[in-house]
Amino acid sequence: MALIEPPIPPAPPEPEEAVLLRAAFAGDAGAWEALLRRCRRTAYLFALQLTGDPDEALDAAQESLLRLFRHRGRFDPARPLRPWLLKIVRNTVADSRRRDAVRRRAAETVLAAGGGRSPEDPHGEAERQETRRMVWEALGELDAAAREILILREYHDLPYREIAEVLGIPVGTVMSRLHAARALMARHLRRRMKGVGHA
Amino acid sequence: MHESCPRGFDQALLSGHLDGELTQAADQRVRLHLEECPACRALFDQIRSVKETAMSTQFNEPREEQWTERPAGPVSAATRFTGWFLAIVWALALSGYALWQVATGPEGLAVKLLVFGGLTGVVLLGISILMDRLGEARSDRYREVKK
Repeated sequence: MALIEPPIPPAPPEPEEAVLLRAAFAGDAGAWEALLRRCRRTAYLFALQLTGDPDEALDAAQESLLRLFRHRGRFDPARPLRPWLLKIVRNTVADSRRRDAVRRRAAETVLAAGGGRSPEDPHGEAERQETRRMVWEALGELDAAAREILILREYHDLPYREIAEVLGIPVGTVMSRLHAARALMARHLRRRMKGVGHA
Repeated sequence: MHESCPRGFDQALLSGHLDGELTQAADQRVRLHLEECPACRALFDQIRSVKETAMSTQFNEPREEQWTERPAGPVSAATRFTGWFLAIVWALALSGYALWQVATGPEGLAVKLLVFGGLTGVVLLGISILMDRLGEARSDRYREVKK
């Protein structure tokens, strides 16, 4: 019996993105600029979440955008751009990781203060920010495979089909791998919370 | 705690349920199971809480000018590669010449030992770094990733 929804067909690009993609592939330089501008935030955030280092993330994002433009001939503009972009970022980060040691920066450097922005409840917001910090730090303790699948699902809200595309694994594998990562993350968090007396 | 379901339920389905990726029949199975299994319910609440926390997280982002301040990747990479290549060729040529001069020159045994010993140390250090890098590359889980 099938347990997860069938993965095909791929979702088409969003209307605005589709217009930009069509114009860019028709040779419109302005459309390419607008497209890359749209992509750069996603590229930066994914690189930051993988590396934990803002400088390295900016380098990786810029390099990824260059690669995306350089290898545009391999892309099918009828498909959504995001999985392809994230795949390029993942490869770029993997390449830089071969050269450099892993060095995640302190959470305060990476996370924006007051992520949820609820001025009517500053105490609750402080607690939520502390939980966000704890989740971020626990993420850093996971191995690369667990970390990347969690990032794609939890921070980027990618459906399983797109996660499979980015990671180059069957859609059927995504759920089990994701759940293993979540269970591991839950264990890390329980340990951390015990450590600070939350449990 | 929560390591596996005491009733043998496939807990991976909890993730599929949370993400809305299950078929209707599988989703219904999870709903029924969650009603009767406190261990799975506790795990489900925990992974849902992590998901909600992650989704509400915001990250510091670079300022607009930082995107244009940076040197272009391929140009700086090519410059760096050329620089390293020339520096290595220069160091090898200079070391070879110096060794040849010392080996064939009138210097005493102590001077020769000093020069050869020092250079042997540098070479051994270089080899050990190279071996470490090769070992890292072999165990790198990304080595099969295609560009």
